[in-house]
Amino acid sequence: MSNPFPKVIVFTSPYCSWCKRVKSYLQQKRIRFTEVDVTKNSSAARDIVRRTGQQGIPVTLVNNRPVIGFDKSKLDRLLGIR
Amino acid sequence: MMNEQKTHEKYDVIIIGGGPAGLTAGIYSSRAGFKTCIIESGVIGGEAASTDLIENYPGFPDGTSGLKLTENMEKQAKKFGTEIIYDKVIKIEKTNQLQKGKYKILVTNSGKIQTKAVIVAVGTKPKLLNIPGEKKYKGRGVSYCATCDGFFYKDKKIAVIGCGNSGIQEGLFLLRFVKKIEFVEFLPKPTAEKVLLDKIKEYENVNFHLNSALQSINGDGKSATGITINDNTTLKVEEIEISGVFIYVGLNPNTEFLEGLVQRDKNGYIIIDKNQNTNVSGIFAAGDATIDTVKQIATAIGSGARAAINAGHYTENTN
Ligand SMILES: Cc1cc2nc3c(=O)[nH]c(=O)nc-3n(C[C@H](O)[C@H](O)[C@H](O)COP(=O)(O)OP(=O)(O)OC[C@H]3O[C@@H](n4cnc5c(N)ncnc54)[C@H](O)[C@@H]3O)c2cc1C
Repeated sequence: MSNPFPKVIVFTSPYCSWCKRVKSYLQQKRIRFTEVDVTKNSSAARDIVRRTGQQGIPVTLVNNRPVIGFDKSKLDRLLGIR
Repeated sequence: MMNEQKTHEKYDVIIIGGGPAGLTAGIYSSRAGFKTCIIESGVIGGEAASTDLIENYPGFPDGTSGLKLTENMEKQAKKFGTEIIYDKVIKIEKTNQLQKGKYKILVTNSGKIQTKAVIVAVGTKPKLLNIPGEKKYKGRGVSYCATCDGFFYKDKKIAVIGCGNSGIQEGLFLLRFVKKIEFVEFLPKPTAEKVLLDKIKEYENVNFHLNSALQSINGDGKSATGITINDNTTLKVEEIEISGVFIYVGLNPNTEFLEGLVQRDKNGYIIIDKNQNTNVSGIFAAGDATIDTVKQIATAIGSGARAAINAGHYTENTN
């Protein structure tokens, strides 16, 4: 892994089961992340749509690179998880 | 620690799918002392975990969220020793191992795993309409999950396709955010339960297009901007501007991987007897993926309990 402390932001909502899956995966791999609840932060929701075209969550930014949904292989690649 | 990499581990009972049926089977099986694991390819809680408000599950007079309900089922299963492995079962090996008394071998994306009894509780997935625009705008206006994507349509006009229980129930959730819903139903009447229809009738910002087929989802290349519907009787074609389309037109069972081994009906639902036995000895099935015609949490958990108790009897008689 090039950066041992990647900046990870997970965009979530309280009712989203796949968001819980992403968060528990990151916790289990001991990756620190910041969570943004889009239902409390409309500008964050607009930001996701602008960056990814995606109108849904979870979206994870790993050093600004978006991962849409729970895409384990992409998360692993960007986070250097083997 | 996740145990995704373990191979050739031996279990008494493996449950494929961690929805309400699988979690209940896990509770019963591990509490009875059997070495039990659930293999789940998506999220624990299954379809139920994506449902915001469950009003008909006994014990919760004010209703409960599907996510909370299934989180508690997961806790209860783990408390009694059920292990959870995140992986996808792609095959049950069809060898003489399937004889009574032999370990069955499950092939997953990351290896092989052995068990005396199997409970298949793989549930269903949303049916696609396979119309123009559906694939192209998936995640960009087309959604099958209101609790995941609903918030993105705050103050916008959307369409909900399908007026069965799921469509109306999810429509009620979406009305917390959206400006207006255009409901489209192929049949002449909505098929949802009266209690849900009575609730939706209280809203002024809903419109129903009954007896109408969705022909296409239109867009500007980036996201969906409208739908085209066709009245089944008058054949009148109408274009409606919307920012999002939520599709609830039925379900298909996740049972393709059982092809050639476990008997299914013509729609892919697993054929079971009253003890949740399939045609293969030691392979049981429970929940929405079976021929049981009622697809509800209460029925899924009942069949999960029955499958686990019978899998336990089978396991005890297996050396
Ligand atoms: C929109 C909507 C609203 C609903 N509202 C209600 C309601 O208000 N009340 C109610 O009682 N019911 C409701 N239901 C129905 C309820 O959700 C289901 O009846 C229930 O979830 C069925 O449970 P199950 O365990 O059989 O299947 P599921 O919940 O579908 O779970 C099956 C699990 O198996 C996993 N899986 C599939 N294939 C594999 C594989 N090969 N390997 C590993 N894992 C696999 C899936 O990822 C999934 O997590 C609703 C359903 C929908 C879609």
